[in-house]
Amino acid sequence: MLIAVAVAALAFAVGRFSTFGSSGPLAPANDSAEAGFARDMQVHHAQAVEMAMELYRKTEDEDLRALSYDIATGQSAQRGEMFDWLVQWGLPQAGGPPMAWMSGTGDGHGHGGAASDEPMTDAEMREAMGMASDEELARLRAAEGLDADCLFTELMIRHHEGAIPMVDAVLELGSEPRVLAVAESMKVAQTAEIDAMKAVQARLGCTG
Amino acid sequence: MTPTSPRSTDKRTSGNPAKQAEINLTVKQQREQKRQEKLAEYQRQLARRRRGKVVGWTLGVVGVAAIVAAIIASFVFAPPPPASYTAGGEGIEIEGVETFTNETNHVEGTVDYEQTPPAGGPHNAVWLNCGIYTEPQPDEHAVHSLEHGAVWVTYDADALSDDELNALKRKLPSSYVILSPYEGLDTPIALSAWNAQLKVDSADDERIEQFFEEYWRNQNAPEPNAACTGALDGPGKVS
Repeated sequence: MLIAVAVAALAFAVGRFSTFGSSGPLAPANDSAEAGFARDMQVHHAQAVEMAMELYRKTEDEDLRALSYDIATGQSAQRGEMFDWLVQWGLPQAGGPPMAWMSGTGDGHGHGGAASDEPMTDAEMREAMGMASDEELARLRAAEGLDADCLFTELMIRHHEGAIPMVDAVLELGSEPRVLAVAESMKVAQTAEIDAMKAVQARLGCTG
Repeated sequence: MTPTSPRSTDKRTSGNPAKQAEINLTVKQQREQKRQEKLAEYQRQLARRRRGKVVGWTLGVVGVAAIVAAIIASFVFAPPPPASYTAGGEGIEIEGVETFTNETNHVEGTVDYEQTPPAGGPHNAVWLNCGIYTEPQPDEHAVHSLEHGAVWVTYDADALSDDELNALKRKLPSSYVILSPYEGLDTPIALSAWNAQLKVDSADDERIEQFFEEYWRNQNAPEPNAACTGALDGPGKVS
């Protein structure tokens, strides 16, 4: 009887020790690829929403109006889901340097934040992610008519192309099933949108 | 073979001295010897049992002590529970942060805010676009941005050198932040999120990073997924 109590007590202690170092059965860690992707992609999507809304309010091209509505609402919804992943994982929305989580990928080129000690400047970060600079955003806001349509497609194609390495990185480094599924669907959708926008550019006769 | 004693009545002899000694004894002596042997054997067993008891008790006490120690250690050495970033929760404890219970509402005109700079309350329906500003910004628009999860970093332009201002800028995330000078500040730097505020003296204060970890786009903000773009650019927007 005493032996049984002793064994149970020891098992209790051992059980507690075994939980040291785990923060939950499956939640990705604060420095995981999943957390990094959730944070960086929210930033990336936020700019796509900003540009799409800017065009939605002034374009006269019905195709582009529909596309910009779709990008703005769809990517806003995806931002909401990624926000909630971090909530459910018990992690802060704020994280380390952008793209630092990508340094484990096999493609070799270190992303600035991870490879150097200096944190990336805002401009460097945007360029790495294919995002528009402040000056480009200002030009988009100032543009009208065909100029706005063409500039928008140019910026958004580059924006979508910039997302793909991030998606590929989380597909390579991550393991959380929902994250991988959403990342894959982003890649499929944005690749299709790139094709659609190139077709629009051809139709409108955009140059450059 | 060595010769035996002349007193021996046994026919056996032995080269083994002990055996030979035994052969030499009389019956009575033999019985006496056997009794002595049994007594010795009993005492050996007694001693063994006594030793066994000591060993047993020692092991028992040590074992219990070890188990109790293990249980205590499993509590004492347990790592702190991971920080939990829930609304109203204490993700990280930051010394000097004040929290408030401002309500949210859309209003016209100017508002007399309870905090300086404001950290929540009624506000204009149009938010202030996040970014870096070189001029003071209207409270009623910036507070709406707080509602969207932004952190408003305000500084006393007279108290910060250019280097310090640059050091502060380097700590800021690229979105959902407003940086602007503020008039009438009682501190060199004040960071405000919805219903939370921290005043610090220097851009080097490590609580700045902690404030962002805890309060940037946190769940206390009424609308943390709303945009901080697409509305009003205030005066002096540089980025």
